[in-house]
Amino acid sequence: MTTAAIVAAGLTKRYGDTVAVDSLDLSIARGEFYGLLGPNGAGKTTAVHMLSTLIRPTSGEASIAGHSVLEAPVRVRGAVGVVFQEPALDMTLSAAENLRFAGLLNDMRASLIRTRTSQLLELFGLAEARDRRAGSLSGGMRRALDIARGLMHEPEVLFLDEPTIGLDVGNRRAIWRHLAALRAQMGITIVLTTHYLEEAESCDRVGFIDHGCLVREGIPARLVAEMGEYVVEIEASQPQLLAQALEARFGGVAIEGNLLAFRLDDDPARAARLQAEFGAQVRALRWRRPNLNDVFLHVVRGEGVRGGAAPRNGARAIDEAHA
Amino acid sequence: MTWRPFHAVVEREMLKLARQRGRLVAQMIRPLIWLFVIGGGLGAVMSRQGMANYQAFLVPGVLGMTMLFGAMLGAFSTVYDKESGVMRLLVIAPVPHAWVVAAKIVSATALALVQGLMLLVVLAVLGYVDSQVSFALLAAGMLATSVACAATGMAVATFSGTLENYAVMMNVVIFPLFFISGALYPVEMLPQVLAVAALANPLTYGVDIMKHAMLDGRAGTFAGAELGLWRDFVAVAFFTALAAVIACVRFTRAAACEPLIHPQSRSRPRPA
Repeated sequence: MTTAAIVAAGLTKRYGDTVAVDSLDLSIARGEFYGLLGPNGAGKTTAVHMLSTLIRPTSGEASIAGHSVLEAPVRVRGAVGVVFQEPALDMTLSAAENLRFAGLLNDMRASLIRTRTSQLLELFGLAEARDRRAGSLSGGMRRALDIARGLMHEPEVLFLDEPTIGLDVGNRRAIWRHLAALRAQMGITIVLTTHYLEEAESCDRVGFIDHGCLVREGIPARLVAEMGEYVVEIEASQPQLLAQALEARFGGVAIEGNLLAFRLDDDPARAARLQAEFGAQVRALRWRRPNLNDVFLHVVRGEGVRGGAAPRNGARAIDEAHA
Repeated sequence: MTWRPFHAVVEREMLKLARQRGRLVAQMIRPLIWLFVIGGGLGAVMSRQGMANYQAFLVPGVLGMTMLFGAMLGAFSTVYDKESGVMRLLVIAPVPHAWVVAAKIVSATALALVQGLMLLVVLAVLGYVDSQVSFALLAAGMLATSVACAATGMAVATFSGTLENYAVMMNVVIFPLFFISGALYPVEMLPQVLAVAALANPLTYGVDIMKHAMLDGRAGTFAGAELGLWRDFVAVAFFTALAAVIACVRFTRAAACEPLIHPQSRSRPRPA
């Protein structure tokens, strides 16, 4: 027995000619908060579904809390809680009834269900909504209830598949507050998939997945540190011209529309002086610390290699994270 | 193994039924329409031909009909569960998938029994149930009918991916099962082809048990039970087991639930 909560070796899923997940290797420790990141359709959800026994891998093997997903799927299902992308609630039942349903399905005693229901509704700020029908709750409350539902049986591992998709900023923050409280109280292993990368910065470790392959794995702060000290972004009136001028001095300059971005490892005042030097050509200039978006663009898209970069087409979801 | 997941599934169906009073009322009115309108009309025609008391013959038939509809609609809620996401909860529950199928069959049976009992009370109030009825046998017949219809409905539901098939199911499965079951007319009076079809219909045997319970030893009815009780029970058991096995096999096959588990991630375009 290892201390790993999740181990996957060569986990692969094919649908016809499409390889949804391509020999994924994972090792996630107990109590770890792991972020599985990547663009839509990268294979994150398929990976989660294989790890939680919802679909059978085409090849490879995985185990959760020491139970094989192939040989002991029922045990695995007892050890995991899954919060799916789409809510898995009965909209005609009340919040408390939904939790009771989940509790009974997981073979919990009625008295335990009652105490857990109260605890979780309290934790997720739903105490007032206890007897309201799930269908009448707001999107954020529904999502919170769905997560509470996944936690009813105190799983060792919680899979959160895009838990904040479709929620506004306020609700997203609320969900993250709840999850932080949860981790503090229960010390549960959490696997998060998201394409809001800012949300993954609190993960202990993240893995970037693209076209079914795990392309990079590491501690967020370290991955970000590898991207340099600063990223400078310039809004230019003649981007091509300015890019040429900057390329020689700063190395790789990424261009997106009239936005230039490059990496700067020394004094940010150097960037500030560009404003004076290029005058009206520079319509706006800012520098910032790199973040996971830059890592994402670097490892997944191979763009902005030496500089942090602005989002390119197809990366709109990443763009939203800035907002 | 444990009964609690069964409890969960059955309790949920009951809660939903209690909240959909309109559905309950509709389920009560349909058999009464058959009994009074069809039974009244055809009965009048038949009594002119010298055939007595068609309505009394129809009572076990409409009971069977109510339980057929109750059980089938209960089982078809599986299709609704797939669309609403509740199916994911059932599939992710730490029990073998055969138990999920069994739990759904049990809950559809319970739904059918509740509706059958309610109709029985209505019929008793209206004077269609008297002390000559063998209540123990009637209870067994109602249970047998419910279980057989629930299992059949569950097997059918596993072949139905979307709710669009719902109306189709209604017309292609439920009505034929009802019409070719001996509920409306004795099987022996049917043309050969239909008679054979009737013998392949689980409802036929369930209704026949109820006819035994309600019509045996009664003078002046239009027709009575036609098949032996022993044969009825064996046939019900056989059809129930067959349907349950088909449902389990279909349910567990990945192809049956995969596209419904992650409809979004599949249709989403891959970024270039």
